[in-house]
Amino acid sequence: MEVKINTKDSVTTAQLIGRLDTPASQEISGDFDNLMQYAAGTVILDCTELEYISSSGLRLFLSLRKAAASKGGNVIVKAINKDIRSVFMMTGFLNLFEIQD
Amino acid sequence: MEQKKGKSLATKISLWVVLFAGLIFISAHLVFFNESRLAVQNEAINHATQVLENTTERVNTILTEVKVATDNTDWLITRHLDGPDSMFVYTRRILQNNPFLHGCAISFEPNYFKSKGLYFSAYSYNDEGRIITRQEGSEHYQYFSMDWYQLPKLLDAPCWTEPFMYTNPGESSSNMIISYCKPIKDRDSVFIGTISVDLSLEWLSSTIESVKPYPNSYSIMIGKGGTFFVHPDTTKLFYQTIFTPTLIKADTALTNLGHAMQAGEEGVRQLTVEGKDSYVLYRPLGDTGWSVGLVCPAADIFGGYFRLINSIIGIVVVGLLLMLMIFSSIISKQLEPLEELTYQAETIASGRFDEEIPESKHNDEIGKLNESFRYMQQSIIKQIDEIKHINEQKGRIQGELKIASDIQMSMLPKIFPPYPERDDVDVFGQLTPAKEVGGDLFDFFIRDEKLFFCIGDVSGKGVPASLYMVVTKALFRTIAAHEASPDKIIANLNETMARDNDSNMFVTIFVGVLDLPTGRLHYCNAGHDAPVLIGNIGAGMLPVDSNLPAGVMPDWEFSRQETLIDPGTTIFLYTDGLTEAENINHAQFEMTRLEDMAHKLQASHIFEPTKVIEAMVDAVHTFVGEADQSDDLTMLAIQYTKQQKDIVYQRSLTLTNDLKRVPRLNEFIDDVSEANGFDMATIMQINLAIEEAVVNVMNYAYPEGTKGDITIEAKSNGTEMIFIISDTGKPFDPTAKPEVDITKSAEDRAIGGLGIHLIRQIMDRINYERIDGHNILTLIKKLSK
Repeated sequence: MEVKINTKDSVTTAQLIGRLDTPASQEISGDFDNLMQYAAGTVILDCTELEYISSSGLRLFLSLRKAAASKGGNVIVKAINKDIRSVFMMTGFLNLFEIQD
Repeated sequence: MEQKKGKSLATKISLWVVLFAGLIFISAHLVFFNESRLAVQNEAINHATQVLENTTERVNTILTEVKVATDNTDWLITRHLDGPDSMFVYTRRILQNNPFLHGCAISFEPNYFKSKGLYFSAYSYNDEGRIITRQEGSEHYQYFSMDWYQLPKLLDAPCWTEPFMYTNPGESSSNMIISYCKPIKDRDSVFIGTISVDLSLEWLSSTIESVKPYPNSYSIMIGKGGTFFVHPDTTKLFYQTIFTPTLIKADTALTNLGHAMQAGEEGVRQLTVEGKDSYVLYRPLGDTGWSVGLVCPAADIFGGYFRLINSIIGIVVVGLLLMLMIFSSIISKQLEPLEELTYQAETIASGRFDEEIPESKHNDEIGKLNESFRYMQQSIIKQIDEIKHINEQKGRIQGELKIASDIQMSMLPKIFPPYPERDDVDVFGQLTPAKEVGGDLFDFFIRDEKLFFCIGDVSGKGVPASLYMVVTKALFRTIAAHEASPDKIIANLNETMARDNDSNMFVTIFVGVLDLPTGRLHYCNAGHDAPVLIGNIGAGMLPVDSNLPAGVMPDWEFSRQETLIDPGTTIFLYTDGLTEAENINHAQFEMTRLEDMAHKLQASHIFEPTKVIEAMVDAVHTFVGEADQSDDLTMLAIQYTKQQKDIVYQRSLTLTNDLKRVPRLNEFIDDVSEANGFDMATIMQINLAIEEAVVNVMNYAYPEGTKGDITIEAKSNGTEMIFIISDTGKPFDPTAKPEVDITKSAEDRAIGGLGIHLIRQIMDRINYERIDGHNILTLIKKLSK
């Protein structure tokens, strides 16, 4: 699991690559802690290469979303595949995030 | 109609009064008539006797005078036998001295006086006041042979002759004569002739008959032989005797009378004379041997008396009739207001209450009745208004109760069979409330491959019980939604109910949790009737601990029990409405009948819930018969129908509780899922669900620092894929977690709880069991074909 973070102006893009299963979530939790500091602006979670997400991954997403909400920022989830979209749907996450193709 | 009623009462009362008065009159008059009749009779007899005595006295006087006259002349004859012609003088003198005599003769033996020849009889007779004297004897009238001459001569004593016919010479008319004759003797006592004095029988008759004490009374006189000498019917004279009628028809009374009169007796007899009821008074006539009778018809004697009776009866009858009319009319008049009341009563009876009843002018009982009636009418109007009001209220309450009943019934499971898609369980239940709303309840639902069910009976009946029932059922649902242990469900229920339980109500409740994959039944019984198990191996009661009913005492420790239910077995639950159902003799259905029924069903291999309940209902209805249902009747039958299917695929994986082992798990799941034909998207989801479940175990069953294994068993029976995740960690039931609300906003959403949510979303069925120190979580996904 790999996370690439780019910040340009007030927009921070995090590229999520690989399977975000439970051990992976633990692995990248530090990256997400980093992302929290950009939560006042716009954070784009680029899921183009995200293959899989477990509930612990979702928890990371939610934590970020909560931080953004409290700081007046915005979290955009970009290009989630069909399978992950169905997980988002099952958990109500489609309504929590701005989803971009 | 009303008219008739008044009249008939008046007539009735009058008739009774008149009848009673009539009875008094009749009784009084009967006594009076009887007494007066006796008095009249005695008086009449006395009177008649007096008359008869007077008559006979008069006749006797005459007869005595005749004798005296004769005797007075007697001695003259004996002294003047030398001068025969003086005899004419003597006869003439007798007649002159006794003008009532008819004649007198002094007759001598033949040739007694030589100068006079063979015949000498000096004779004078009274020809209507003129005394004619002559010598009577001749060849044509040879007096020696006559009775009046022969009798004294033969008897040598004076005597009276029987009447005989005598015609004076030169006269055409003849007279009936009786003569007193006496022998004449000379100084040597030799019979020389007779002196005879004649009395006209006609004269005697008129003397006797002249006395008539009653208009139709008459006198008779009979001679020694019973011959009539005196009788108003002259044809009977001399030719008939008193006995003549007895020759035609025997008449003892008449015969006896005749004999008595002949014997010279004196008396009174009552008998029928010539067809008339008569009193006959009789009395002998001096020494003549004759008897005088006075015949007085009873009709004459009692004539006045009968007239009196007739007038009295007439007066009484007329009086009673008048009385009847007057009474009838007075009572009718008095009862007139009653007719009015009758009309009013019928008006009221026909439902019209507003017609005014006039005030009565009477001050008597009828007036009071009228007043009572007016009061009653007003009272009825008031009462009916009240009843209407109460009925309206009652109707409203009934309506509301009906709605409450509908609501209550709608809260109970009512779609049967409830799980047509399932092959492991069948349920049927029914509740028949005794009133509109009741305190019985049952409920069941399946969560995570567990059938949660309960049956309960709230203390009391009616609305309070029904409210409590609703609360109980709601609590059961709420608590069982996240609590799978029946004792805890009840304990929870108990805490809530016992708290603030001002009305001191409680509920006996049985809660069971049937684990459908394994048939394991956990149950807790809070004071309810023990369920009955009916299955292939037998029928009998499920043993239950004695816990208090819920709501009685907070902090009560409810005990949990468990058993294994064999496939095919039915759990039959009921309330005491079944065992305490009463027939008309107040006998109860009782546990023994229920057990008998269970054995019968067992023997017939009837385990289907609908059939079991149907049979129980039939049995209890047959037993109860016509009696009213006294309590709510609730039954719930649950059949465990799990069929063990052949396992066609099986693999397993054991991991340590290390998150790093998750990729290995993913590989295993990928392999298993692919082998069973799931598509890529589903494989990803299955992976997600299993990972969540396993990670949960790693995180919670094995707290940090503890080591343990997790075994994942994957098997297929051809229709579904079954994943069994087991561990030996501390008890952890992921199904007991409350559901996350995925509709909440990001700010409000909890971070946790998503794992179990995803498992539920992805898997078709989920089930947790803690068995023998193992947490066993079963996840089932239908095969996609």
